[in-house]
Amino acid sequence: MESFKEAVDISLFWEYRSLLLGGLAFNFYTWISALVLVHVMGFSMCMMRLSRVGACRAVGTAYAELFRNTPEYILLTWVHFVLPLLLSVLLQTRLNFPPFLSAVLALGLAYSGYMVETYRSGIQAVPKGHIEAGRALGMSSIDITFRIVLPQAIRNVLPEMLNQMVSLFKATTLVSLIAVPDLLYNVVIVTQEEMRPLPLYTWAAIVYCVIIFTASTLVRWLTERWRSRGWA
Amino acid sequence: MDVWRSIILKNLNLFAEGLWVTTQICVIAFCVACALGLGACLVRLYVRPLRLPATIYIEFCRNTPIYVQLLWVNYVWPDLFGWPQSFFAAGWMALALQSSGYLAETFRAGIEGVDRGHLQAAHSLGMSPFLTFRSIILPQALLNMAPSIMNQFLVLVKSSTLVSVIAVPDLMYQAMRLTAIWFQPIEILSFTAFLYILIVFCLSHAFKLYADRLRGRYGLAMA
Repeated sequence: MESFKEAVDISLFWEYRSLLLGGLAFNFYTWISALVLVHVMGFSMCMMRLSRVGACRAVGTAYAELFRNTPEYILLTWVHFVLPLLLSVLLQTRLNFPPFLSAVLALGLAYSGYMVETYRSGIQAVPKGHIEAGRALGMSSIDITFRIVLPQAIRNVLPEMLNQMVSLFKATTLVSLIAVPDLLYNVVIVTQEEMRPLPLYTWAAIVYCVIIFTASTLVRWLTERWRSRGWA
Repeated sequence: MDVWRSIILKNLNLFAEGLWVTTQICVIAFCVACALGLGACLVRLYVRPLRLPATIYIEFCRNTPIYVQLLWVNYVWPDLFGWPQSFFAAGWMALALQSSGYLAETFRAGIEGVDRGHLQAAHSLGMSPFLTFRSIILPQALLNMAPSIMNQFLVLVKSSTLVSVIAVPDLMYQAMRLTAIWFQPIEILSFTAFLYILIVFCLSHAFKLYADRLRGRYGLAMA
């Protein structure tokens, strides 16, 4: 009972609020920056995957398979420790990635693999007739892609995309492993100073849980509304 | 190539040991996760007074990052519950905790996906609730859920790399240790990444084949 009281005691967590809040901000920075990479790579690789040229298709498929099947943690260490060395050899200069850059690169690459598949399922769900109608009206293939296929595709897969964004936020806790000072990293540091792991880790878990639960509930609610309007 | 011969080939036994620990931890964690998930799901569906605690449990497991859970189980549980006393147990418990939340939701979707008419038919034939569950709901639900269950196992294998952080000597841990000793991250980490990708890729394709076969044999139409 004693230890239970210790675990839910928020005073220590509250004492370090500014440090921990700053950490949480790093979670959000990582998240937003990785999101940009996820969508840019996810969309362009999806276009490669669906292209009519065989070589492009192979590259797109290999990209999606590779990053979907790699554990995030190993990708993170690989990008942080190996990639700079390889680039140094290649460019003949000494290179070092700041942890934040490695974190964004690794998470962005890992989740763009899923995003390729999401974009693809959305695009393939657009009725063929719409594309043929566009062609019959003399629209260029760029016009067809951006004005007919994509608007419908994105509407189809928006719920799935939002779910993946929430997963990406969950994964941002990993960046503390390569010393990006996010919330969890600061919690570990404070724990080493104060030697009181119970309240710190418990409250870290609760804070993450509340944020992610709110986000995923919001996504669920929005999805239901979209479905009821026939959007998704 | 020198590094390859002198470090990786010489330490293949360490990689093998790590792989064996990874296998153990994944299998144990998955079995525990299935049991916990099934329990939570059944409680949520059929035990009305305990529905709220079960829902809170499921949502907590699903919405907390695995790394946070790992540290929480490892550092807080021993003081709170007097267990787990080893890193290995903390590792599989944290992985099981995370997966059980997802599996509980999968089980629920599978059970709720069974056609109401089948239940009514079983009821009107005078089948007991237990018999209905065992011979009407469970077979159909399992068939529906098979792809998501297998997918959850893949997610678990991928998250299992994290247990190396709390010093469980799995494949990832051995790789990081060798890197620290020899300081040749290019070869060692790339080789480890290759191993993991190979494992997850083979598993995911085997699962996909198996799911397709199930679908072909039983005419799975509901999923």
